[in-house]
Amino acid sequence: MAVSWRSWLANEGVKHLCLLIWLSLNVLLFWKTFLLYNQGPEYHYLHQMLGLGLCLSRASASVLNLNCSLILLPMCRMLLAYLRGSQKVPSRRTRRLLDKSRTFHTTCGVTICIFSGVHVAAHLVNALNFSVNYHEDFVELNAARYRDEDPRKLLFTTVPGLTGVCMVLVLFLMITASTYAIRVSNYDIFWYTHNLFLAFYMLLMLHVSGGLLKYQTNLDTHPPGCINLNGTRYQNIHLPEYLSEHFHESFPGGFSKPDELTQNTFVKICMEEPRFQANFPQTWLWISGPLCLYCAERLYRCIRSNKPVTIISVISHPSDVMEIRMVKENFKARPGQYIVLHCPSVSALENHPFTLTMNDFEIYSFLHLVKTPRFCPFIQSRNYPKLYIDGPFGSPFEDSLNYEVSLCVAGGIGVTPFASILNTLLDDWKPYRLRRLYFIWVCRDIQSFRWFADLLCVLYNKFWQENRPDYVNIQLYLSQTDGLQKIIGEKYQALNSRLFIGRPRWKLLFNEIAKYNRGKTVGVFCCGPNSISKTLHKLSNQNNSYGTRFEYNKESFS
Amino acid sequence: MGQIEWAMWANEQALASGLILITGGIVATAGQFAQWYLGAYSIAAGVLVCLLEYPRGKRSKGSTMERCGQKYLTRAVKVFGPLTSNYYIRAFLHLGLSVPAGFLLATILGTACLAIASSIYLLAAIHGEQWTPIETKPKERPQVGGTIKQPPSNPPPRPPAEARKKPSEEEVAGVPVGGPQENPMPVTDEVV
Repeated sequence: MAVSWRSWLANEGVKHLCLLIWLSLNVLLFWKTFLLYNQGPEYHYLHQMLGLGLCLSRASASVLNLNCSLILLPMCRMLLAYLRGSQKVPSRRTRRLLDKSRTFHTTCGVTICIFSGVHVAAHLVNALNFSVNYHEDFVELNAARYRDEDPRKLLFTTVPGLTGVCMVLVLFLMITASTYAIRVSNYDIFWYTHNLFLAFYMLLMLHVSGGLLKYQTNLDTHPPGCINLNGTRYQNIHLPEYLSEHFHESFPGGFSKPDELTQNTFVKICMEEPRFQANFPQTWLWISGPLCLYCAERLYRCIRSNKPVTIISVISHPSDVMEIRMVKENFKARPGQYIVLHCPSVSALENHPFTLTMNDFEIYSFLHLVKTPRFCPFIQSRNYPKLYIDGPFGSPFEDSLNYEVSLCVAGGIGVTPFASILNTLLDDWKPYRLRRLYFIWVCRDIQSFRWFADLLCVLYNKFWQENRPDYVNIQLYLSQTDGLQKIIGEKYQALNSRLFIGRPRWKLLFNEIAKYNRGKTVGVFCCGPNSISKTLHKLSNQNNSYGTRFEYNKESFS
Repeated sequence: MGQIEWAMWANEQALASGLILITGGIVATAGQFAQWYLGAYSIAAGVLVCLLEYPRGKRSKGSTMERCGQKYLTRAVKVFGPLTSNYYIRAFLHLGLSVPAGFLLATILGTACLAIASSIYLLAAIHGEQWTPIETKPKERPQVGGTIKQPPSNPPPRPPAEARKKPSEEEVAGVPVGGPQENPMPVTDEVV
């Protein structure tokens, strides 16, 4: 099926535009800085000493400045949650950009890796050149203290060198622990090493304070490449012996050869020695803002989550799922938001995200899949351990109430964000824009449907009473058919008749939704395995003959 | 910290260090630095480390994501037996390989990274982890009709299997059998 351009633009357009803007900023910075160091008169002598290495290292440093400052912004989750919910971001298109925050963070991270590699390689070449091209006239410009000083000494005995090496090692630890395989299998390693970012930023601030690369301050009195009548000629410092001979040849005794002078009109006379000064560390300006913002947010979250929640009850559901109901003062969450849970008696340092499934007069609940015996204390004892929550944080599912028609697809335990939406509709559906909801829930085990079977039935009955039977369209799919049991329970007749065996046929489903909602924009929300998510994304971009547009919204959990 | 598998992280680190060593070695050899032979050594060491570390070991719990095309190298690495499956040996091998590259400016960072990887492998070895190859199980072909020994001998409606098994007991107990019908002719399955 052909890709519908309208759908593609709606789904992918803004994202790609932002990527293009970010890419252009990087290219512009790199190019501008490269030209400055390649051609700028204040760096003339330094460029002669170091060559291409200088330009590459400074250009990559400016790209690193930009990305080190941008990378922190997508991680300010409370700020993003606030932007998502507030009226300050009215456009749904802009709100959907916020869904891509984690992807943007990763993109900046990869860029930092690549350009750090370029920066390090260029500076290693610079260290070599500092040592080989040592010249007595430019002692203050050179980082080396004498000719042919071992470049490794330069690396380890200067502040920028040493901090640079430490930063490379910290970055190495952070990157090797951030690969997909590690995040999926040992999330702890990823989380702990990633918190080394603070050490990285501290080292970065020290790194740029070294002032190793200097610019010339007195360009008017000493234009670069001018001739000093008293001493050496400041033009080519790579070959000092050749030049001193040449100097004596062309100017025997001063200005006695006027025709040579007129030929050499670009040569100027030096009035004083060149003076050099270190650049102001620009990096401090780039990173101080985002770093302060992020640290302030972490501090705020830490303080807010310091009070434990009050656990009201713990309910045990089939298929090893446990529901915890709790209350916390000054805590308000919108439907679809999630929290990060911390339980010190289970693990001192681990934090895990959970979506809130219900908000019933300020009593919040969430579900937990009990796969490990570590959580047995909850079920067995009446003494509930202390629980701390951080959040609430926003997620794309909050937007499902803002579309006129929404398609919500849940896989297994991924139903939790939609449960909070359904609970909200149960309270009152009129204030929201949503007028039709297609709810597809795919599970492997038939008992899993019991987690929310009551909620679904009550919701169904409510809409029947209000004469809006087509508001919620429920379809339950049992993907594995090893059991003989084909009904959820005797009392859930509404659900039994909506239970299908086998996997959903997405193409037909999309066709049906397109046909019954012609010309409308349907929001597609998926919380489940990647394979379903990819299929839905692809189908959302495709054409249909009814003029219906599908906007795809996705949450990434790892 | 729960059950963290250090070996997996060490594996990622060693692979990355190998690549850094190769890059540094290429820069040193191509730029004809002094002691460029150390650059050539560094390329060779980097390649060896990458080949050794490419096949990911099996996790003790849960499924492991294989790297693309790793099964060929898995076979090669498995051949060395305890030399490659023991992490103590790997840790010391990496430490030894990294030392000569530390003398050259271009490869000094590769040395540092490989040394860190070696220390994490030591940690993994102390925790008792070891490298087990990921074996690809041959796909079990679903036996079509494997459990069907004989076609049903009765026309529908047929009672469930449990009821059909009972007749011998019921006959012994003297209960009248209203169950399975006896066919006048044997029934054969004509499906090939």
